Amino acid sequence: MDGPAQSTGASGEDRALAASLDAVKRAAGAQAAHALAQAAPKAARRLGTAEAFAAWLGVVERLAAQAPESVDALLGRIEGVLVDLDVPRFEAWALAGLRLAGGDAARRRAYFALEDPEALRWLERAAADLGFSTVERRIKAYLTALWGLHPPVRAVTATGSGGPPRRTSFAGGVIRVPESFRGVGEAAAVALFRASLAHVAAHFRFTPRRFPVGSLKPLQVALVSLIEDARVEQLAIAEFPGLRRLWLPFHVAEPGGPPAAPALMARLSRALLDPDYRDDDAWVRKGRRLFLEARADWGDPAVSRRIGGLIGNDLGQMRVQFNARTYVVEPAYRDDNMGLWEFADRSPPPGGGETVVESVRVDRIDDAPSPDRERPDGEPPEEDGAPHRAAEDDDGADGVPVARYPEWDHLIGRAREDWTTVVEYPAEAGDPHRIDRMLEERPDLARRVTALVRAAKVGRPTRLRRQSEGDRLDLNACVAAAVSRRLGERPDPRVYERSVRRERDLSVLVLLDVSESTNDKVLGGITSVLGLERDATALLARGMAELGDPFAIHAFCSNGRDDVHYLRVKDFGRPYDAAARGRLARLRGGLSTRIGAALRHAGAELARQLTHRRLLLIVTDGEPSDVDVYDRRYLVEDGRHAVMELAQRGIDAFCVGLDPAGDAYLTRMFGRRNVLQIDRLERLPDRLPTLYVRLTA
Amino acid sequence: MPLSDYLIDQEPWYRSIGDEVALFEAAYADRMPMMLKGPTGCGKTRFVEHMAWRLGKPLVTVACHEDMTASDLVGRFLLDADGTVWHDGPLTLAVRHGAICYLDEIVEARQDTTVVIHPLTDERRTLPLEKRNELVRAHPDFQLVISYNPGYQSVLKDLKESTKQRFGAIDFGYPDAAVEAEIVAHEAGVSREVAATLVRIAERSRNLKGHGLDEGASTRMLVYAARLVRRGVALEAACQVALVLPITDDPDIRDALGAAITACAA
Repeated sequence: MDGPAQSTGASGEDRALAASLDAVKRAAGAQAAHALAQAAPKAARRLGTAEAFAAWLGVVERLAAQAPESVDALLGRIEGVLVDLDVPRFEAWALAGLRLAGGDAARRRAYFALEDPEALRWLERAAADLGFSTVERRIKAYLTALWGLHPPVRAVTATGSGGPPRRTSFAGGVIRVPESFRGVGEAAAVALFRASLAHVAAHFRFTPRRFPVGSLKPLQVALVSLIEDARVEQLAIAEFPGLRRLWLPFHVAEPGGPPAAPALMARLSRALLDPDYRDDDAWVRKGRRLFLEARADWGDPAVSRRIGGLIGNDLGQMRVQFNARTYVVEPAYRDDNMGLWEFADRSPPPGGGETVVESVRVDRIDDAPSPDRERPDGEPPEEDGAPHRAAEDDDGADGVPVARYPEWDHLIGRAREDWTTVVEYPAEAGDPHRIDRMLEERPDLARRVTALVRAAKVGRPTRLRRQSEGDRLDLNACVAAAVSRRLGERPDPRVYERSVRRERDLSVLVLLDVSESTNDKVLGGITSVLGLERDATALLARGMAELGDPFAIHAFCSNGRDDVHYLRVKDFGRPYDAAARGRLARLRGGLSTRIGAALRHAGAELARQLTHRRLLLIVTDGEPSDVDVYDRRYLVEDGRHAVMELAQRGIDAFCVGLDPAGDAYLTRMFGRRNVLQIDRLERLPDRLPTLYVRLTA
Repeated sequence: MPLSDYLIDQEPWYRSIGDEVALFEAAYADRMPMMLKGPTGCGKTRFVEHMAWRLGKPLVTVACHEDMTASDLVGRFLLDADGTVWHDGPLTLAVRHGAICYLDEIVEARQDTTVVIHPLTDERRTLPLEKRNELVRAHPDFQLVISYNPGYQSVLKDLKESTKQRFGAIDFGYPDAAVEAEIVAHEAGVSREVAATLVRIAERSRNLKGHGLDEGASTRMLVYAARLVRRGVALEAACQVALVLPITDDPDIRDALGAAITACAA
């Protein structure tokens, strides 16, 4: 029955492949199609199922359309790439490459040919089932809880010899954990990390000093380590019986099989820990017997040395294969034993899996200045009237990179660390009269907006006692009044109390989108979107300045992920003077809208304000976009994430949309209640109360 | 006697962990104001109850909170059909009729409230009632006892120096493992083995104090967990309910504690 089913599956694969070959040939040329034909059988073998293969073909087709020059380079190396990745992870890795290169074909090709170190880094990242960093805190807390230990733990992605580490290691009180265990599922990885560190902690607790290597042979070193591992585990189990359940699932060695040293040693390890394990091998049984007979002496590490030496001799006489170079400690949770031995003459250790203890920690390269600004409070050029530099000069030679932020990729469901760089540019000085004139022309509007801002009661609730009216009786006032009445005095009629929001306690950061699209005319109007943004902001700012509310006006646009422009029109704690109004008047539209990075940067600024409520008011006209992003949803989802992060920090993000068609993505980012659309300046007073009602609710 | 309701007839079970009973008896003989220090749930309140029973004195307990005013302690005028009537507060009651007045978690009360105890805690042993224009002299049996948890001391919540220096103090901690197991076994009616396992789990969570937890599991929590076990709840579930979920909402710490419980369970 299997035969026909398989053959239809195969012909299905062939049909899918033929279609893909066509598509790739059309998109990327004959050479790429040829490479696909060559690579397809290898990929099919790696991926195993017809579904996975078909999905993989889909990814290749899409890649051919978006990066035609890179397909053949990638397909030539496809086996190596697919070793660690399934199709969704392969796709995530490929997408990272497209994003990284941002339209630069040469860079793309370098990435897919695995010549760009970033490609390997992302490969590593994509392959990682579960990184240690995600569970680090809980596992450290676990060690603290069990043993009161607070050892430094370092996640290691590469050993000194370049390969990924396969086992935990410890030396000098520092534990080095592989950043990820290859091919281990998420749930199993948590248990593996936990088991690993619990095992190392048992060494910390019960292996008081290192064994001198002396004249021991590699096999003896490995066996003494094995007995020592079992000894410290037994002692730990005596203290915490549940640890046996933590470690036992990793012991999967079974009786039988060829008498090779690693297999026998794995079986002995299991026999020493698992009381229910049966093994008929004479050597395994002898090791177990010696170990259990020495139960009374388990407290002394010398017992490991003695038993390890004895069974080491036996194994040596059995003439089984043992290769110290390829030996890796089993099961996977055990450490590489390097921390157990004292090597007299710093010569390379004879046994053990990782031969180099000192490993490299790949740290985040942190060359960007810290988010705390380096410049004194965004000092803008103050030469009033005189433009700082030509309006057309837009390559921004004097931008200062101030911070890096992560960006959320909805396809892989993860944030990419330090993916965007915010660069602050000085806002140019301009003519404040444009703003003043606009306000003078619309005195009613200005007054109404100011009144609305004033009416907003945003502050901490305060209890007022002894009020002439209120929603509760003030008991003390009541009693005092009754006493006075009895005494024949005229009682004080103020016997109520109530709670009010009395102080204005709100800081507002207005963040203006000044991307290229803001130069467009407002639908059915004569002013540009930017003009509308500017006028609305001027109205609000006037109201806030009159009332003394702390507020700031910043603007942003972007030119790829490495250059998110950020301009400070007015900062918190600085006057809203003619210079500030001039800078507001001078804002020009250009470049794109990478909204998430700007939101994060503005949020960091606003988080420093110590008011009761903090409002980030973002004024935007269009869909988020950037030159290096082709996926329409990508920046929207990132923006949504940024807004959620702000909410977690107690910052309200509110969007004023100027694109009537933008409701779908704006509500996706900010939530339905936090978006208001205006298309004419006159609508601002009508819509503004919505915002304040939402804030004070 | 107006305080007969406050007398304790049944002996409250208390397992002495040092010489605290003798110390307290000596302090009472001199009516010295006492301060019991220690983390929450380690047996301070039980100790006071036990001592009141031992000394045969009524015990008036006031749980202090931050909205508490001096009137809540001293008393106030209330209204009735004929006019106002003075109503003694719990402290005045204890002062007049000779009880041990126990102010639980005194730091929770505002500092301007706690100063009313000052004239009671020096040689004067008097309580002035300004509103009634009365000076109450303390009954010879009256003693003031306060409890104080240094664990959540902060700049905002600390006793005034002038208050602290009016008291003698007994320091309470969690008893050592064997004694704590005995207490848990007695209070919850579980076997020594179960109690010992629970105590071992509690030590795990006390290790995390300052490393994710503000305070480790208290003896009281252990007794709760043990009672759940006695009702047939599985040990790990009982620990989750009584020892983990109440003290932390941090998922990482919950996970670590859960795993530590698994490690301790046989």
